[in-house]
Amino acid sequence: MSDHEEKRAEERADTRADRHDDRNEPGNRLREELPEEVTSAVPAARAAPESRPEPEPEPEPEAETGAPEPQLTGRQRLVEGLWPPRVSRAQLIVAVLLFGLGFGLAVQVASNSETDSALRGARQEDLVRILDELDDRTQRLEDEKQGLEKQRDELENSSDQAEEARKQTIEKERQLGILAGTVAAQGPGITVTIEDTKGRVEADMLLDAIQELRAAGAEAIQVNGVRVVAGTYLSDSGKGVAVDGNKINAPFRFKVIGKPQDLEPALNIPGGVVQTLEKEQATVTIERSTKIVVDALRAAKRPDYARSSSR
Amino acid sequence: MIAVLGLVVGVVAGLLVRPEVPAVVEPYLPIAVVAALDAVFGGLRAMLDGIFDDKVFVVSFLSNVVVAALIVFLGDKLGVGAQLSTGVVVVLGIRIFSNAAAIRRHVFRA
Repeated sequence: MSDHEEKRAEERADTRADRHDDRNEPGNRLREELPEEVTSAVPAARAAPESRPEPEPEPEPEAETGAPEPQLTGRQRLVEGLWPPRVSRAQLIVAVLLFGLGFGLAVQVASNSETDSALRGARQEDLVRILDELDDRTQRLEDEKQGLEKQRDELENSSDQAEEARKQTIEKERQLGILAGTVAAQGPGITVTIEDTKGRVEADMLLDAIQELRAAGAEAIQVNGVRVVAGTYLSDSGKGVAVDGNKINAPFRFKVIGKPQDLEPALNIPGGVVQTLEKEQATVTIERSTKIVVDALRAAKRPDYARSSSR
Repeated sequence: MIAVLGLVVGVVAGLLVRPEVPAVVEPYLPIAVVAALDAVFGGLRAMLDGIFDDKVFVVSFLSNVVVAALIVFLGDKLGVGAQLSTGVVVVLGIRIFSNAAAIRRHVFRA
C-alpha cells in the first residue's frame, strides 16, 4: 500500500487521470469510487507539493521518468512502494488504519475459532434444529427424572409401610402375647386370696371365680404362679387343684389385671363367687392395687390342627 | 512498506492479545473488517493505478467501516440483520473481487 509513489502519481495525476479513466473504466465499472479518487487526487496533488518538505528531489526523477517512461507499470509502482521503506504522513496514517484492520481481523478470527465456534457459525435453521433437539432431550430427561422420582417415592412409601406393618405386628404380638400368656404383663388390678383350711374348695369353684373375673374384664390372670389363658383347664387333684396339670394348693392367690372397680364388685355380688366360697368355710380377701405384675409365662404352643384361615 | 508492517503488526497484536470482543461490538466487527478489506483493496488498486491519495483512503476506509456497521445495526433494528449482513458482504465481496482483478492485471499483466 505504500504510496511513496504518491507525489509522483499526484503530479502526474492531471496528465494521467484521463488516461487511467479511459483505460480502467470500461473494465471496472463496479469500482464507483474511482472517479471520486481521481478527482480528489487532483487537488491533493496541488496541495501536496507545498506540504511536502522534499518535493525537490522528486521533480528530477519525475521529469526524467515521466517523459521517457510515461507508462510506469503497476508492478513497478508496487515494488517501489514496498522498497525502500519511506516514512511519510500518508504511510503512517495508512499503517495505523491497517493496524486497526489487522487487529480486528485477528480478533474476529480468534473469537470465531473459540470453543463455541460450531454454534457461532451455524445457520439459523441449524440452530433451530439444535435447539429443538435440546428441548426434546430436556423433555425426555425430565420425564425420566419424574419416573425415577415416582419410583423412589413408591419405594420410600413401601418401606414406610413395611416399617409401619412391622410396628403393628410387634404391637399385635405383644397384645396377643398377653392373651396367650407368652409375655409378662402389669397394670392395675386386684389380688384375690382364697384361704381354704378345710380343703373344700374344688376346681369348679376356682373356675367359677376365673369365669367371673373374665366376665368382669380381667385381661391377665395367674393363680399361684400359673398363667391362666384361654386353653387353661382346672381339675381336682387329691387335696388340691390342678391348673393345666400343675398342682396347686391353698391358699389360692389370684393376681388379676383389669379394672379394680369392676373386678371386685363382680366377685362380691350376692350369690356370687365370694358368698359361695364363704359357704364352704373358705376365706376370701380382695385387695385392690394400682400395680399388679403377672409374670407367670406359658410357652407358646403351635396348634397341631388349627391353621389360620386368614390370608 | 510501513503500511504493510502496520498490517502485520496488527495481526500479530490481535493474535497475541486476544481481547474479549465486547458484546456491543460483536455483531459489527466481521462486517466492519470486510468493509475495511474492501477499502484496502480499493486503495491498493488506486496505488497501482498511480492515483492513490491518503485522504481519500482514510475517508473511504472509515466511511466504509461506519456505513457497514450502520447497515448491520439498522438491519438488526428492523429484524432483517442476517439478510442485510449477507447483502453487505456480497456487495463488498464483488467490489473486492473487481479490485483484485484490477490489481492482478497490474501485477501480472493478465
